[in-house]
Amino acid sequence: MEPCLTMPYEISSQAWSERSTPPMQNINKMRAQRKPLEFNSDGHSRFQGCSSIRDYEILGKLGEGTFGEVHKARSRKDGYVVALKKILMHNEKDGFPITALREIKLLKMLSHINILKLSEMAIERSKGEGKKKAVMYMVTPYMDHDLSGLLENPHVQFTEPQIKCYMLQLLEGVRYLHENKILHRDMKAANLLINNQGILQIADFGLARHYDEQPPKPGKGGGEARRDYTTLVVTRWYRPPELLLQLRRYTTAIDMWGVGCVFGEMFKGKPILAGNSDLHQIQIIFDLVGSPTEQNMPGWSTLPGCENVKSFKPRTGTLAQTFREQGSSAISLLGELLKLDWRKRINAIDALQHPYFRTDPLPAKPGQLPQFEDSHELDRRKFRGQKAALPPAPAGGTVGTGPNGEWIGPSSRSTGPWQSNSFRPGGSGPWHGHASATGSYPANQGTSESRIPHIGRGHVPNQANHRPAWARNGENARQSSTFHNRESDLGSHYGRHAQHSRTDPSISSAGRGDSYVPNYSDDNDGSRLRLEGTRREERYDRAHYSYDRREKLSRPAGRTRSKSPGVERSRDRVRERERDLYRR
Amino acid sequence: MTGYSPPSNLSNPLATIEQLSTSTSQLDGIPADLELSVRFVGARLTQAAGILLRLPQDTVAQAIVIFYRFWIGAGGGSLKDHDAKDVSAAALYMMAKLSPYPQTPRNVLNVYSYLLSDSSNLLSPADSKTRDPEAYYLSEGTYYSQRTQLFQTERKLAFAMGLQTHVALPYTIAINYLQALDTFGQPKSNALAQRTFAHLNTALLSPQMLYLTHQPPALATAAIYLAARELDIKLPDDNWWEAFDTDREELGFLVVGMRSVEGFAVSEKEKWGRRSVPLTVEAIDAELEARRMLENGE
Repeated sequence: MEPCLTMPYEISSQAWSERSTPPMQNINKMRAQRKPLEFNSDGHSRFQGCSSIRDYEILGKLGEGTFGEVHKARSRKDGYVVALKKILMHNEKDGFPITALREIKLLKMLSHINILKLSEMAIERSKGEGKKKAVMYMVTPYMDHDLSGLLENPHVQFTEPQIKCYMLQLLEGVRYLHENKILHRDMKAANLLINNQGILQIADFGLARHYDEQPPKPGKGGGEARRDYTTLVVTRWYRPPELLLQLRRYTTAIDMWGVGCVFGEMFKGKPILAGNSDLHQIQIIFDLVGSPTEQNMPGWSTLPGCENVKSFKPRTGTLAQTFREQGSSAISLLGELLKLDWRKRINAIDALQHPYFRTDPLPAKPGQLPQFEDSHELDRRKFRGQKAALPPAPAGGTVGTGPNGEWIGPSSRSTGPWQSNSFRPGGSGPWHGHASATGSYPANQGTSESRIPHIGRGHVPNQANHRPAWARNGENARQSSTFHNRESDLGSHYGRHAQHSRTDPSISSAGRGDSYVPNYSDDNDGSRLRLEGTRREERYDRAHYSYDRREKLSRPAGRTRSKSPGVERSRDRVRERERDLYRR
Repeated sequence: MTGYSPPSNLSNPLATIEQLSTSTSQLDGIPADLELSVRFVGARLTQAAGILLRLPQDTVAQAIVIFYRFWIGAGGGSLKDHDAKDVSAAALYMMAKLSPYPQTPRNVLNVYSYLLSDSSNLLSPADSKTRDPEAYYLSEGTYYSQRTQLFQTERKLAFAMGLQTHVALPYTIAINYLQALDTFGQPKSNALAQRTFAHLNTALLSPQMLYLTHQPPALATAAIYLAARELDIKLPDDNWWEAFDTDREELGFLVVGMRSVEGFAVSEKEKWGRRSVPLTVEAIDAELEARRMLENGE
C-alpha cells in the first residue's frame, strides 16, 4: 500500500518507524484504554484449567439428582461460599455429554445479574492415575433459596411488591437470554434461585441451546421460527400448549409460557398447571385459558396434536375467575404470558413495560425484601415420605443438575491461575473416597442449618402414606420417579396431586371445569402414577431422584451403575436413545 | 436488574508467557524442536481430517486451537503421556459435537485410520504408496478399543481446558472489517477476501500458535493487511488497523508470523524427509532413543 512497504514481509521495527506514527503518548493512552481481553475484571487470566476440589471445603449436601449431587462448600482461597454441582458421567456412547458441554459453554458466555454465574470448574482426582475417572464439579455462587422451595415454606408469604420485584428480575434475565439468542427450555420455579439480597437468578442450562432465529422485537411477540427443534423439552407443568401439540418450530415464546406459570405460582403458592400426563396437561391448560380456536391459536389444528388427540371440548377459560383476587393488571399480564397463540404471546421486552409494574403497589427493590431461612430441596424433604407425585422433568439434562432446579448453591468466584492447577494427577484430596456418585437424590441434608418445619400447606397428610413414594408404589415406583425432584419439594403437599392418580388418561381428559386446581383428596393408590409406556415417560425417569434414592438404599454404596439390575440397564439403553434426541 | 454485558463470544482467553515458555512436554525432556514438529503435524492432521469429514472450516479451526491449548503450559498435556494423534481426533470430535455437524466416533476414527496409514500421503511422501484399503480398515475390535481411547482423551482434553470449549475465530470478523474498509465492490475484492482467509488458515498452523497469543480482531487485521499488500490493493492511508483494536507493533508481529509459516513448513519437510513425525508416545520414545544414539555415535 505504501512505497516504503514494498518489501512487505520484512517488517523490522525500523521499517515501522518510518511510517508516521502518532506521538508515543497517544499510543500509550490508547493502550491504557484498551481493555485486555485475556483477563477477567478481577485480573485473573481467563485461560485456565480446572481448579481442584481440594480448593473447597465441603459444608454439606444441598441436593442430589440423577445427574449429580449439589454440595455447599467454602473456597479455601477466598472464603466464598459456593455450590458445587457434580457432573456425572455415565457410560456415554458419545463420550463427554453434549448437554454438559453445551451448558458449560453457554454459562461461560453469559454475564448478567439475573443469570446464575458459573464461577469455574473444579475437578476431583483420585489416586492412581487413570484408574478412576475424575469427577467434575460446576462451581456457582451459593444462593439461599430456590423459588419453588420458598413457595413451599409455609412461613413465607409473598407480598405483591415482592412478586413484582421477582417478576421484573425474571423478565430481565429472560430478556437477556433471548436477546442473545438462547432458549432456556426448562423455565420453572425450581430453576429460579433467590438469595437473601433479594436477587433472583435463572439456573440450569442443561436443556438450553442456541436459537437460530432473530431475537424477539418489541411488540412482535416471539416471532417465527424457521427450523425444527426437539419437542422433548420443558418440565411438563411449565410446558406451553404448542409444545404439547408437538410444534417443532417453536420460538422464545416457550420460555415466556413458563414465566407465566411461575407468575401464577407465586400467587397460588403452588404450580398452577400440574398435569399428570401430557394429555391431562393440555386439558387443564385449556380449562384455564380456554380451548383453542383458529382465532386464539391460528394453525393449532394443523399441529400433530397431543398424543394423537386433536379435538378438545370447547370452553372459555377461567383465568380471570381463578386470579380474581390479584387484580386486573395482574390478570392482564398473566393472560399475555399464558396466551395460546405463541406468535402473539408477549415477549420479555414488552412484559417489562406492562402496566402491572407501574401500578400500585409498586415493585419492591431487591434489597428491601425480607430475608428467609434457607430453603433447599433437602430442607424441604424432611417429610419426604409424604411426598406426592413428582413433577415431570424434561429429559434433557445429563449435566449435573439435571432438569431440576436444585442447583442451589453457592457462590464464589475463586479461580486460581491456570498454571497453578496441575493437570497431572496429584494426590487425592479430602474428597477422595467420597462415595461415588450414585446419581441419587439425597435424602439427608448435610447442613444442620435451621430447618423450617415443613408441614404441608393446609392439608393433613394421610398417615398411611407417610412412607416414601417408592415404598408405597412398589414396582410402580420406577414410574413414579418420572416426576421431577421439584416434587420432592412438594413432599409436604402430599395429596396435592392426588387427583392425578387416575390411571386412565381418558378420564383426566374428560374436561373438568376446574381441574387445574388439584383437589387434595388422599391418594393411597399405587397406580396414581400412571404407567405410561411412552418414551417420554421413560425419559423422565432419568430426571427424577426418588427412583435413584430407592436404588441407593437398596444396594451398597459405591456400587457402580454397571452392576445395577438389568432393568436399569435397559433403562440406560432407552436413555441413550433418548439422548440422541437431545442432541439437536 | 442492571449489569448487562453481552456474551464475550468475540474474544479468547490467551496463553500467558509462562504457558508459552514451559510446556509439560519440555519438562518431560522432549526437545523443543521435536515438540514444534509434532504440534505442526498434529495441526495438519486435524485440518486434513476435518476436510475429509466435510466439516466447516470454523469447526476445524476451533479443533486446532483446542489441540494447541492442550499442550501448553506446565499444567498441560505431555507428549510423553498422550498420543498427539489421539488428542487431534478428540479435539475434532468434541468440537464437531458442539457444532451443527456432529460426527459419529466411527466416522472420526475411520478418517484418522486412513490418514495415519501408509495409503495417505499426509504424513509421508507420496511415492511408494501402497493404496491398499486393507491397510486402513478398522476392524470391530480395533474400533471399540479406539473409541474408548477417543472418549478418554476427550475427557482429558475437556478437563485440561477447564471445560472452556469456546473458541472465537477471526473469519467473520475479517469479513466485517473488509466491509468496513469498503473493499467490496472494488476490483479483486473476492480475491482479497480469499487471500485473507488463506492467511487465516495458514496462521492456524503457525508454530508460534498465533491463535493462542492474539485476539481474533488482530488476526483478522493482519491477514487483511497482508492480503491487500500481496494483491496490491490500496487500503486507507491512515493507521486503519487501530480502528480494529490492533496497534502497529502487534500488526507487524503477526504479519511476520503469518509469513514465516511457509518457511517453517519447508524446513520441516527437509528435516524429516522420508521419516514420519512421531504422533504416538511410543514413536516419540523411539525418536528420542534414536537421537540419543546418534549423539553418542553408536
